[in-house]
Amino acid sequence: MTSQIIIDPPEDGHFRNGVATKGLTPSPTTLSLRLTINGRDHALEIEPRVTLLDALRERLHLTGTKKGCDHGQCGACTVHVDGERVLACLTLAAQVEGRTITTIEGLADEDGTLHAVQAAFLEQDAFQCGYCTPGQIMSAVACIREGHAGSDEEIREYMAGNLCRCGAYPNIVAAVRQAAQELRS
Amino acid sequence: MTVHDMKHAASDSARLEAVGGRLSRVDGPAKITGAAHYAFEQQLEGLAHAVLVGATIAAGKVTAIDARAAETAPGVLAVLTPDTIMELKGASDWFGNPPALSTYCPLAREITFSGQHVAAVVAETFEQAVAAAALVKVWYDETPAIVDLSDGKAGDGIPIDAMTKEWGDAQAAFAAAPVRICAAYNTPREFQAAMEPHGLIARWEGDELTVWEPSQWLDGMARTYAEWFDIPFRNVRLVSPYIGGGFGSKALALAHSAVTAAAAKMLGRPVKLVLNRPQNFTSYGGRAATRQTVAIGADKTGRIQSIVHRGVNETAVDGMWVEPLGSVTSIMYATPNFSSKQNVVRVNTVVPGAKRAPGENPSAFGIECAIDELAHELGLDPLEMRLINYAEQDPHAKKAWSTRQLREAFAAGAEAFGWAKRSPQPRSMREGRQLIGWGVAAGTYPVRRAHGEAVVKLLADGSVEVESSSIDMGQGTYTILAQTAAETLGVPVSQVWVKLGDSHFARAGVTGGSRLAGVMTGAVYKAAGQALNELIGLALSDPLSPFHGLQANTLVVRNGRIASPRGDGPELAIAELMSMLGRERIEAKGDTVPPSFTPEQRYNNYTTIAMALPHTEGDYSRYSWCAHFVEVRVDEDFGTVRVSRVVSALDSGRLYNPKLAESQWKGGIIMGIGQALLEEGIVDRRHGRIVNSNFADYMLPTNADIPDIQTISVGIPDPHSSALGGKGVGELGIVGVAPAIANAVFHATGKRVRDLPITLEKLI
Repeated sequence: MTSQIIIDPPEDGHFRNGVATKGLTPSPTTLSLRLTINGRDHALEIEPRVTLLDALRERLHLTGTKKGCDHGQCGACTVHVDGERVLACLTLAAQVEGRTITTIEGLADEDGTLHAVQAAFLEQDAFQCGYCTPGQIMSAVACIREGHAGSDEEIREYMAGNLCRCGAYPNIVAAVRQAAQELRS
Repeated sequence: MTVHDMKHAASDSARLEAVGGRLSRVDGPAKITGAAHYAFEQQLEGLAHAVLVGATIAAGKVTAIDARAAETAPGVLAVLTPDTIMELKGASDWFGNPPALSTYCPLAREITFSGQHVAAVVAETFEQAVAAAALVKVWYDETPAIVDLSDGKAGDGIPIDAMTKEWGDAQAAFAAAPVRICAAYNTPREFQAAMEPHGLIARWEGDELTVWEPSQWLDGMARTYAEWFDIPFRNVRLVSPYIGGGFGSKALALAHSAVTAAAAKMLGRPVKLVLNRPQNFTSYGGRAATRQTVAIGADKTGRIQSIVHRGVNETAVDGMWVEPLGSVTSIMYATPNFSSKQNVVRVNTVVPGAKRAPGENPSAFGIECAIDELAHELGLDPLEMRLINYAEQDPHAKKAWSTRQLREAFAAGAEAFGWAKRSPQPRSMREGRQLIGWGVAAGTYPVRRAHGEAVVKLLADGSVEVESSSIDMGQGTYTILAQTAAETLGVPVSQVWVKLGDSHFARAGVTGGSRLAGVMTGAVYKAAGQALNELIGLALSDPLSPFHGLQANTLVVRNGRIASPRGDGPELAIAELMSMLGRERIEAKGDTVPPSFTPEQRYNNYTTIAMALPHTEGDYSRYSWCAHFVEVRVDEDFGTVRVSRVVSALDSGRLYNPKLAESQWKGGIIMGIGQALLEEGIVDRRHGRIVNSNFADYMLPTNADIPDIQTISVGIPDPHSSALGGKGVGELGIVGVAPAIANAVFHATGKRVRDLPITLEKLI
């Protein structure tokens, strides 16, 4: 049996595998953006299709925010936009102009004092390889702020969007519980 | 920078910092603040971005590639195809065997699996490369693929004689046994799924190549690059400061690595390539799918008379992977008669690879379920069944165990779990509509050993540097080596800086098989001891030293200060002494390599796995051991299984840092929960594709899937296994988890599921 499979982008410019084919290839036009990240303004000249995640990692060299799946499935890219947790891989940089963005690099105090969640992650050994950790911590800060850290069960549920392959989950629950108590007191 | 400065009183520090202390990770602050730059997060001038094009057929050949549209797309620098990429030399395999072919093309003309790389696009930006890659047109001649083990075309495969283990007359003894069970156990294709994808940045300066790539084996991968590009080993520098998880997948330089380094050379620019998530399911192998048959014959008291075991694992059409399925079967229980044989079957997949406890993991699923089935057949408690057949020595090697705290693990685990309250009958424990099941299984992993080396430097300011090309992917290498150097030298951990992940540091072999901690603590202990001896020797003999002429035989260093053990004479900080001696540094390279080794043997020691020391060398058989006790809750109406409680008792010998070891054990247990209930690579039978090649469809355990897990250390120092008494930690935890869950599901439901994962449709 021999068949010929032709992998040929449709001429009408429809989407193929989620990527614009030639008819829709964006023009080299770039946007001038001003993003407020961790209290600082950053000027960017980027294509409209650049995600917040790639803007952070590839343009602004803020690599603390991690890319695990690029499809909103793992949570490693979690950042805060106006104080709410957001997946940076599913957010275009152009969408967040004028809003307040916080990444893991901006969580500790200026003098280096760790946020209560960061300190608890360290003490409870709530990570191993550390790659999902910035996203876990950003989620945990929001989880506590949302009022979703009332019990271990609740923490597990509201932290379930952040995958950890090293399997630090029980220690993450312990860290979020500890930080929530410290932040309440 | 260490946490103990913030969280603990000074009096606690010494206890936490000593080897065996629960010191928090010294690399932790960098990881929780985003300051840790992983390998391909380095920022380089002129960096170009590459994206791969994968084959959409599983078998056949590429007949034509039209790259014109991609080449003229905005920002594109080059489109590489099998016809345009530079030719590389063949490289030796990880045993050091020379390549079968003298040349190597990392882009394929002949397709043997879906997703195989056929082209690559390099552009100024990532977005441009992604868009242009979709414009590459590929034509194929497709031929029928063997999609998996159950494919009618797959056949019985190739016998692997090296896997055969036999003693006594297993078939006859099984036939004659009064009580017999025989069942088949299957595990699917599973994936390592580290959160950090595979990828790299490659940069050439003349004929020197620097590669920033997450790596479990810098020296081995550097050797491969050197051979591909026909340059001296020292011309390759591999840098891998942090690794976002590996689980066995990041030990080898792969086709996408070669493409990237070739692109960088061809373009004269640094090139970055990161596999997208679906490509992480097809660009390197996960755990091979396996099939086992286990037959056990016993007498009426439950004593095993014979075990007959047959196994099969899938491998690739153009690559060989053997997942040793008889590894646990042959050593867990005492039996006078035994037979284990294994075949491999070629299917159209990327060559399978190492995933946490390769071999031992699926092997334990077979034997530890089978022993549970035998216990049920005999009406014996499954824990008692295991104790009746306890192996007092290695039944295969016929050697004494170096240490085997498995009986202690059963006892401690059962006590903490409350096993004595278990009602023996299946379906006899419930809470409303939830059936409750309690299961137990044992696990083991051999103590893999190797020779190692490390450099320890005492610097003028009194600080200490430890250098090694070994790595930390989360096991805690930075931390335990800091503890080892600090304790040996007598300085606080806060004065120790451990530098890992650079192939130009002192060499290291592969980080795999749970060998790194044992090898590297031994090497650092030796190097630090040599540095200390040199310091003390200088302090006593150098006329510039205040200890000169003290008539002391030795000096002691405590908390970074050096003094006479008798308390006479001065006491001063190491930095002060170094200043008086006029020394910038004292440097020692310590190794555990036999002095008789030639330079070539040393090179092979670090760049191949051929020189590893057998775990049954000499008089002893060396293994880590564990026992898992699991409670599951099965919804009677819907068949959903939840693990509600885990107690595991583990013997990893001496723990260098229990806090970090417990984390690794729990991580292994959690990966085992995923294996038991969730994880399965699903192959499209028409096209041989992995259809769930993403994190939404290939389900990993989430936080909401994981209950409280209690781990208990029952290990004792094992002097036959390592310099400081530890055995393996990282691989052990997963071994035995899936059978413990399967056994618990049987206890809950009365239904025996022998096909992983245990999904609801198999229960209703």
